[in-house]
Amino acid sequence: MNARYYEQLDEQVCSQVLDNGLRVTVIPRKGFSRKLAYFVTDFGAIHTDYSFEGREYHAPAGVAHYLEHKLFDMPGGRDVSGEFATLGAMTNAFTSYDLTAYYFSCTENFESCLRLLLEFVSTPYFTEESVEKERGIIDQEIGMNQDAPDSVVFENLMEAMYASHPIRVPILGTGETIRQITPQVLQDCHRAFYSPENMMLCVMGDVEPESVVRIAREVLGTERRAAAVKLRPWKEDMTCPAAQVSGAMEVAMPMFSMAFKCEAPEPGEPGIRREMVADLAAEALFGESSELYLRLYEQGLIDSSFGGGFETIDGCAMLLCSGDSRNAEAVREAVLLQGEKLAKEGIPQERFLRMKRSALGRRIRSLDSFDATCFRTCAYHFTDFDYFRFPEVYHRIQEREIREFLNRVVRPERCCLSMIQPLKKEETA
Amino acid sequence: MIQTRTLLPGITLRCCRDTRFKQGCLSIQLVRQMCRQESARNALLPNVLLRGTKTCPDLRAITQRLDQLYGASIVPSVRRVGDRQTTGLYCSFMDDRFAMPGDRVIEPALAFLEEMLLDPLLEAGVFLPSFVDREKRNLVSTIESERNDKRIYAMNQLLKEMCAGDTFALPRLGEPEQVLSIGEEDLYRHYRDVLASSPVEIFYVGGLEPDQIARLLAPLAERLGGRTRSLPPQTGFRPGRESHTTEVMDVAQGKLCMGFVTSVTNRDREFPAMQVLNSIFGGGMTSKLFAQVREKLSLCYSIGSSYFGTKGILTVSAGIDFDKEEITREKILEQLAACQAGDITPEELTAAKEALLSSLRTVHDSPGSLESYYATAAISGLELSPREYMEAVERVALADVVAAAGKLTPHSTYFLKGESQ
Repeated sequence: MNARYYEQLDEQVCSQVLDNGLRVTVIPRKGFSRKLAYFVTDFGAIHTDYSFEGREYHAPAGVAHYLEHKLFDMPGGRDVSGEFATLGAMTNAFTSYDLTAYYFSCTENFESCLRLLLEFVSTPYFTEESVEKERGIIDQEIGMNQDAPDSVVFENLMEAMYASHPIRVPILGTGETIRQITPQVLQDCHRAFYSPENMMLCVMGDVEPESVVRIAREVLGTERRAAAVKLRPWKEDMTCPAAQVSGAMEVAMPMFSMAFKCEAPEPGEPGIRREMVADLAAEALFGESSELYLRLYEQGLIDSSFGGGFETIDGCAMLLCSGDSRNAEAVREAVLLQGEKLAKEGIPQERFLRMKRSALGRRIRSLDSFDATCFRTCAYHFTDFDYFRFPEVYHRIQEREIREFLNRVVRPERCCLSMIQPLKKEETA
Repeated sequence: MIQTRTLLPGITLRCCRDTRFKQGCLSIQLVRQMCRQESARNALLPNVLLRGTKTCPDLRAITQRLDQLYGASIVPSVRRVGDRQTTGLYCSFMDDRFAMPGDRVIEPALAFLEEMLLDPLLEAGVFLPSFVDREKRNLVSTIESERNDKRIYAMNQLLKEMCAGDTFALPRLGEPEQVLSIGEEDLYRHYRDVLASSPVEIFYVGGLEPDQIARLLAPLAERLGGRTRSLPPQTGFRPGRESHTTEVMDVAQGKLCMGFVTSVTNRDREFPAMQVLNSIFGGGMTSKLFAQVREKLSLCYSIGSSYFGTKGILTVSAGIDFDKEEITREKILEQLAACQAGDITPEELTAAKEALLSSLRTVHDSPGSLESYYATAAISGLELSPREYMEAVERVALADVVAAAGKLTPHSTYFLKGESQ
């Protein structure tokens, strides 16, 4: 494996691309008990349209998540979670808008656990009966999601803000779309997107890097198989179909989520650089060190639940903030005005350097988290960037870039506001 | 591994020197006896302290100071540990070795922590009314937000009713009406009392030697001064009247919570066996509740059990359809009966023990988990180090688990349902 030492982070990272196309990264951490392995495919909830081996596919919404659930089934009634548990390990998975991750965490039996992870994710096994049974479980999960105000306020925002991008539909799909999912649909998606070439394996902990490569070769073989081509038929301009959306739920306080639409991310360093610029812009605009945050907080328009940042998902990006507020419309007006002011006046050099130093320090601290580090390593890899290079990108960012970003993005036509009000009848409570 | 020093009587510093991390952390907890009269004030206090100090009079100045320290953070820490409530601050900071040449982080960070705790911004000798008012409203909305998470809400309702008369019925952050009745003078008086009389627990993890940390904290300890008050020992739960409640709200999914009592607490010899039982019964994806009630019977989306070792209470929580209450309850009790009858496979026992061992092995893998283990163990009365705890878990045999299961009795239930499915 190629080992590279990142001096500014005091971190050694080993990487290799196998013959089958799988990218393997190991972040050795001597003296730690925990070992974490992430096996991730560059396929998420929004990738329902694809072409593969000369044919076009349009899968129902929710298929990536459904597939994630069903991959835990193995032939012969084997119980994957149980097998991990017997090895003293914990396994789980999650589906996001643009990737699906399977992982385990263990302290002992690392090699057996790694074999099991690679094996179950690369073994599609779906019966009519088990796919049918899963529908009840996913229906419950959809129900639970509908009771979670944080999810609802965000999903309403996406639906209002985008015209055709599949981020408009919840990751889980809907009661209706999941009814269209059959073993064949799952099989097709697995074949299309779970080839090693479309995946990444990232391991963190006190392990021997070469053993990870050896096991990955043994379990996954050396054959290279092309993955499907994602179709991205959506068309989005930089305006929002609706400026505002609201709903009512069983919540204690009115809450909101608000976003400014941004251009889709570019791959590689320009993409990550814009992301870091945008994060700094978010901090300058409404972060805790900003003039606006203090003012809104003291006016009682926001409280400590308020927060925000920059989000990128395949094909879309947004500057986002959310929290509880009795008057979210006033928050929106204040953010728009402040954005205009900052774009015009810029950020004093001293403040800009302090913000960069803080962002860098927080990122370095976050490397103590195995989960955050494995996840970011994979996510950035799929956008063609080596995550551990973040310090040099921070150093190169200029104040001018923040100003340009705010000037372009913080505009009324790009803004969408989603609100959830408490149900009226609960006022007596 | 952990070095403990008494900085002054009643002020304990526990140090875990570890050079593997990229950040360090230090927490200061002032330990109180949980009681209705002061729980809301203890919860409010750190939030007011974080609003302004003598040299950083507002939130923005505070954040800028922390930004200068490479994004160090200081956040409120309010815990309920059995009969105790702690109030204090938790600080985490990047390790000095990543700072630019000549820069130091920990020293100025601890100096700032001291300022936060001891030099709040005052007006006419008390906290600023505007800070107190704002933070009261924020705290009330934090408390009310728990209503947004129906699983937490339902569990709190169960504990409130099941433990009426015990400190465990009191919510960690107090009740909204209690928060609203706090005045700035009253809060300031309480603050002086908390500083002067509470036992102080300080926990540090990071690259410095205990001597260096003790030296950095000496001015803080000096200003706090020694104290002699000690708190009564932790008590186990003494079950009172049973309660069976159903509440109706506009929700899509029902939440069933069941409370069980046991005489075993974390101060008892049977504690590791009770933990293993909890793990077998409802502790994770291989537990009986998950495998049988969720996977096999598809009765619920989520199900799990929790064991509150400081009190000796075990709870089960399940997300279900409204019309599945009775059958789910029945099936949960069936699984408990199976444990009591010794119907536990060797695989189940091994998996449960391994899960516990694994989580204990990883206590030393992050500053946050070290802090959370040791800082609460000292207060809850748990006398086992992770290593001793692991050895005890390894010795747990099937008979011990069955005996532990025999000590569980159903007590109360709470069901949250919607108006229609």
